[in-house]
Amino acid sequence: MPNNENLSPFIAEFNGVSLRYNKGPEILKDINFSLSPGSFHFMTGESGAGKTSLLSLLYLHLEPTKGRVRLLGQAIDTMSRSTKAQVRRQIGVVFQDYHLLNHLNAFDNVALPLRLAGEKETEIKKHVSELLAWVGLEKQIKSYPEELSGGEQQRIAIARAVIHKPTLLLADEPTGNVDDAMAKRLMYLFLELNKLGTTVVVATHNVGLVKNFHFPQLHLADGHLKIIPAADSYSDITNKLFKREEK
Amino acid sequence: MAKRSDFLFSKESSHFFLPWICALMVFIATLVLAGGIATHNSLKLWQKSVAESLTVQIPTYNEEGKPREELVYRDIENALMLLRTTPGVLGAIVLNDDQMQDLMTPWLGSDAVVSQLPLPKLIDVSVDAAHPPVLEQLKADLAASVPDAVLDSHRLWLGDLVRFANALLTLIGLILILLFATVAITVVYTTNASLSIQEHILSLVHMLGAQDLYITNRYAWHNFKVALTGSLIGFVLALPIMFGISIFLKSVSGQILQSSLTSVQWCYLVLVPASVALLTFLTTFKTVWKFLRRFL
Ligand SMILES: Nc1ncnc2c1ncn2[C@@H]1O[C@H](COP(=O)(O)OP(=O)(O)OP(=O)(O)O)[C@@H](O)[C@H]1O
Ligand SMILES: [Mg+2]
Repeated sequence: MPNNENLSPFIAEFNGVSLRYNKGPEILKDINFSLSPGSFHFMTGESGAGKTSLLSLLYLHLEPTKGRVRLLGQAIDTMSRSTKAQVRRQIGVVFQDYHLLNHLNAFDNVALPLRLAGEKETEIKKHVSELLAWVGLEKQIKSYPEELSGGEQQRIAIARAVIHKPTLLLADEPTGNVDDAMAKRLMYLFLELNKLGTTVVVATHNVGLVKNFHFPQLHLADGHLKIIPAADSYSDITNKLFKREEK
Repeated sequence: MAKRSDFLFSKESSHFFLPWICALMVFIATLVLAGGIATHNSLKLWQKSVAESLTVQIPTYNEEGKPREELVYRDIENALMLLRTTPGVLGAIVLNDDQMQDLMTPWLGSDAVVSQLPLPKLIDVSVDAAHPPVLEQLKADLAASVPDAVLDSHRLWLGDLVRFANALLTLIGLILILLFATVAITVVYTTNASLSIQEHILSLVHMLGAQDLYITNRYAWHNFKVALTGSLIGFVLALPIMFGISIFLKSVSGQILQSSLTSVQWCYLVLVPASVALLTFLTTFKTVWKFLRRFL
């Protein structure tokens, strides 16, 4: 029987989470929030605010220095290494710096999560080709990352993150290197996945994106997290922000 | 396109070092072990002679070099009588010229003409290995009734040989341990080097949810294949040298050295490349398993 105390209906749940690197200052302070299944959030905050750090806690790359993180219902501090690996397989991550493998071509990079899951090669071929075409890279399918532009690499990173239809998708600045039209197209990809049930968090500096898609924001400032509810327009968000801070 | 399962290994990771170290170590280890087995076989033979064989020599010529004629037969008679009544002696027979020839072959070669040599008459005494006769007593009795007879127990010089062979076997054991330790250290070293070069790959694959056991197994099998290839090369190269040495030893030593191996002993030799490959598998497994702990 699983320990009830460790079970949680949320995809992710943070309780009093703090994070510091080595002996440095606290980057994240007393973070509390939860992600419901099927929710969509932006993560915002200035450069250096701690977005990547917070995402690292969500994809089991870092452990909190204080507090408790639960993922897919289980507290990470009591998870076995093998369970952590299973949880990681249900999380798709678009890394800010892509983390593509240079010795593999575009196809094999995107195929990686499916191969780790032991998927059949015929299925892999079909899905990967389809997805690469969708992100406009059918011609680059055999190209190696070093032969590709920043934006092209970014799209491969995105394709790899979504190819296995993860339960939780974490995208760290996924549109930083593409033009607005492609950014929109990629956002539709995330929305499509979200409709199929994937919980999505997109960290971004892109104000336009946040403005166009009406989703709540996890906003980081001074190490604290503020949740800004979905609004109809960007001005509404700033208004609310203003009012909150006045109080 | 990279092979389906090769995503864990980039080009830089293929180490040229490991297969050649394995080849060299297996080459040396096979020869050393073969030498050890031959020594062991010879040792068994010598020990058997020490335990079982006892000869009494009756000189056929006296000190001045004159034939002793019928005195020889009287001595043989007396010696046989004494021997056959000694407790622990199962039997005693005088060797004829053919038997002498056989006996001498290992030492003098088959073309020596035994009958023309001033050899003593030999009485071969078979001994009850469980209850051997008391040698000192037998010597004294023999001196009393057949003063010219010489009791040769082979014990003296064969005893030295046995001690030497035993020391050699210990040395061979130590060398084998050292060779295997070298393999293990090389595996730890090359594996760690390759892991550091590929840390970014491992870190990513780990983040994508690969199990420790999966990564570890892949590395261990990869190195196992590399080591097995190297080991077989080393083994195959050792074979002609082994045969060469064995033929050479036969030609110089006759049958004193037992350089031919039984089929079970051949299996021991085949175990050398197999155990180097297995050792590589286990060492790699442990090294990678430990390395992966750096990731959450
Ligand atoms: N590995 C690390 N070791 C030490 N300090 C780190 C490390 N990674 C990040 N930091 C620090 O933590 C703080 C937050 O970094 P983080 O990368 O989370 O910010 P961010 O919000 O993602 O910024 P950006 O928008 O520029 O990507 C920064 O001050 C950074 O210097
Ligand atoms: Mg960042």
